[in-house]
Amino acid sequence: MAFTEGFISELVGRKATVNEIPIGRVTDFLVNKPDDVFPRIDGLVIKTSQGLRFAPIESVATIDPDGKTVALTMTPKEPAPPEESALFLIADLLDKQIVDVDGRKVVRINDLEIARAGDGLRVVAADVGVAGLLRRLGLKSFGKRFTPGIYRAIPRSMIAWDSVAPIRDANPTQVNLSVTESKLSRMHPSELAEIISDLSAREAAAVVSQLDDETAADAFEHLDPEKQRSLIEDIGTERAADIIEEMDADDAADLLSELDEEQQHELLSEMNEYTASELRALVKYAEDSAGGLMTTDYTWIYPHRTAEATIRKIREIAPTSEFIYYLYVVDKEDTLLGALSLRTLLLADPAESIDAVMETDLVAIHPDMSSEEVAATIARYDLLAVPVVDDRGKMLGIVTVDDAIDAIMPEDMARKLPKFTARHRSHHPNADVAG
Amino acid sequence: MQTSPVSDAAATEAPRRRTRWRSLLLLFAVLGPGFVTASAGNDVGGIATYSQAGAQFGYNILWLMIPLAVALIVVQEMSARMGCVTGKGLAALIREGFGVRISVFAMIVLFLINTLITSTEFAGIAAAAENFHISRYIAVPVALLAVFFFVLRFNSKIVERVFVTFSLIYVTYIVSAVLAKPDWHQVAVGTFIPHFEFREAGWLAMVVTVIGTTISPYMQFFLQSQVVEKGSRTEDLTFTRVDVTNGSILAIALAGFMIIANAATIFIANEHGAHINPQTAMDFARALKPLAGNAAALIFAIGILNAGLFTATVLPLSTSYIICEALGFEAAIDRKFSEAPVFFVLFAAGLLLGAGFVLIPGLPLLQLILFAQLLQGILLPAELVLMLIIINRKSVMGEHTNGPLANTIAWTTAIVIGLLSLVYVAGQFIPQLLGA
Repeated sequence: MAFTEGFISELVGRKATVNEIPIGRVTDFLVNKPDDVFPRIDGLVIKTSQGLRFAPIESVATIDPDGKTVALTMTPKEPAPPEESALFLIADLLDKQIVDVDGRKVVRINDLEIARAGDGLRVVAADVGVAGLLRRLGLKSFGKRFTPGIYRAIPRSMIAWDSVAPIRDANPTQVNLSVTESKLSRMHPSELAEIISDLSAREAAAVVSQLDDETAADAFEHLDPEKQRSLIEDIGTERAADIIEEMDADDAADLLSELDEEQQHELLSEMNEYTASELRALVKYAEDSAGGLMTTDYTWIYPHRTAEATIRKIREIAPTSEFIYYLYVVDKEDTLLGALSLRTLLLADPAESIDAVMETDLVAIHPDMSSEEVAATIARYDLLAVPVVDDRGKMLGIVTVDDAIDAIMPEDMARKLPKFTARHRSHHPNADVAG
Repeated sequence: MQTSPVSDAAATEAPRRRTRWRSLLLLFAVLGPGFVTASAGNDVGGIATYSQAGAQFGYNILWLMIPLAVALIVVQEMSARMGCVTGKGLAALIREGFGVRISVFAMIVLFLINTLITSTEFAGIAAAAENFHISRYIAVPVALLAVFFFVLRFNSKIVERVFVTFSLIYVTYIVSAVLAKPDWHQVAVGTFIPHFEFREAGWLAMVVTVIGTTISPYMQFFLQSQVVEKGSRTEDLTFTRVDVTNGSILAIALAGFMIIANAATIFIANEHGAHINPQTAMDFARALKPLAGNAAALIFAIGILNAGLFTATVLPLSTSYIICEALGFEAAIDRKFSEAPVFFVLFAAGLLLGAGFVLIPGLPLLQLILFAQLLQGILLPAELVLMLIIINRKSVMGEHTNGPLANTIAWTTAIVIGLLSLVYVAGQFIPQLLGA
């Protein structure tokens, strides 16, 4: 019977034979395309008396499912390729940490399950449970014979390979292995942030290096300042600047205000001029004040446009705006004249001018207002956001209700909030709002 | 203050580095991983061992602390360096470097020895309580509840800070040692002239015990985790080294003064015909009498209570983290039980077994405490060998593998301690070996 599925721990260490003559032992398995959903094993590394040799998978004649040998059709001649040229299952993955993307946790690979699928043997799952540990300890047959009941009761924790994200150390020689679209980006940013917090500095940097700027920025917004600071040091100024640029302006400003001036300067000079000047303005304010909470990413419109023209403009800018539910009416000097909700705009006569439908009796706050007062104001008037204006009535930004809640919620309460799983989210689209 | 042009130029060139210098130095001066580890290392076992060593062998055992200081600095520097360079804990490195079998074996041993050490902490607490006529059957459960409370309710960093602050109480030993008016000439001779008493009953056991409590195997795991948790990197190696060296020297100095204080009071009194034979840890309170007079027992009890609670709070928790790190189980104290079941079971088991062990009626607590340290000494060489293999691997440490000096000292330490342990264990079976 041919080998159809099994664990890598049952194959490694086996005798390799050619015409039933032993030539060495199987020590590793080589994968050339580690980014495939279920990566194909391209060959075996055989330890022979002449050193490490590479046996292409095509030269494997039979893998005895319960036996002790792997039969090859010919003696491998080629030396084993160098470490950094490909992914080696034993050297690079076994015993290493991975992120379980759907389980949202960091675990260690105890064993790898491989199976014959289509054109060859493929890695299908990581065993991260006690069963894998026992198998590695050589206790499987012992367990089966003496305590079959207990053995069966041991939960098998397998993670399908399509939700395994290996944590590779940020090693420049391994860039050719870097993933194009990381499985990590499937996770919710707050969960990703939690994973990053659980990792050591180097592993965290390795994970961030696998993310695109936008995903990294979303995750950064959920990290505590200390972790943000240490990550910035590890990933370098240039990458950090790219990520910060993608962050919400208020979160980016909070992050910058935690850094010393030299570092702030370095990061800002790497960004595009528009974002940099916006952030420079925001960094000035104390973190727990309206100025520190506010974002400059609000939607502004001019008073003399018609409702129809304004809707067209909103449709244009909405995809890149954080907050479009309130529209703020300003003049050329950015003086706040009035505001209207998206609802009002939609219900207005298309030909009506904005200044005829806008609300002019506005609640606006000063950038120095404390975060508690900001939250109280938002709560009292049942707002989604409140505009921040300076002494002369110039519009500076808005504080949204979620940022106000974050600012006043006790830290340990935030930690104790229930986590919503990815599965929950897909069934209940509103879970995000509740979370 | 005068500034030379040279330092000015350096300051303008690298103002950021200078501010980091200053803030890091400040941080480390107050509470670096080395300092915290040194304080956590001065646990009930440490106090009992150094006291017993001084009481039983006087100043003649002091010299041991000098090679021990060198070994401690080298070993702890290795731990800290591995933490800085790899960003991983020692348990993770053992798992990734040696595979499942050795890791599982090492973790089982670590769990058992650390649980035994946890026991000794509760034994100290029990001894302190019984001195004030409070039954251990009340004191230990209360302490157990206190530990659960500290761990589950408070941020571990805050708890750590409070305990480290309280461990300043050991400074009383320095004062007391001086006030006891020891013969400083004898102290100097004992410190700088090695003195072997292989034929003396219990001498070899005491040497291994002192080694075991000074370079506890768990401290290497603990220190490396602290370094990793702090996020120290290769660039921070210099500060980490300074910190670790400071912590080590502090630990050794305090140990030395504990030995002197006990030698000057108990050992010297016995030389003059007294028959003081310490039966419980509290009997060593006598060493604080020159300073505190009748309050000696109280101060000693506070010191031992703090040491016991500190390590009982830190050890089962860090052991649980370390084992989960090696075996890949989820570990975090702020998770729900269902999210990290192995972690919580290990933590609770270590703590409950440790505390429960002390409640076995008739258990000789002082002997238990000393035996646990002896066991640490016997296990230490195995840990050092694992560390040395890992730290000399280029694939793990890059250019930061051990230099020849560190290798020589660490290998010598491992071999010498290994031989001492071997001779001691063999001596248990063949008493004639030591000529006794």
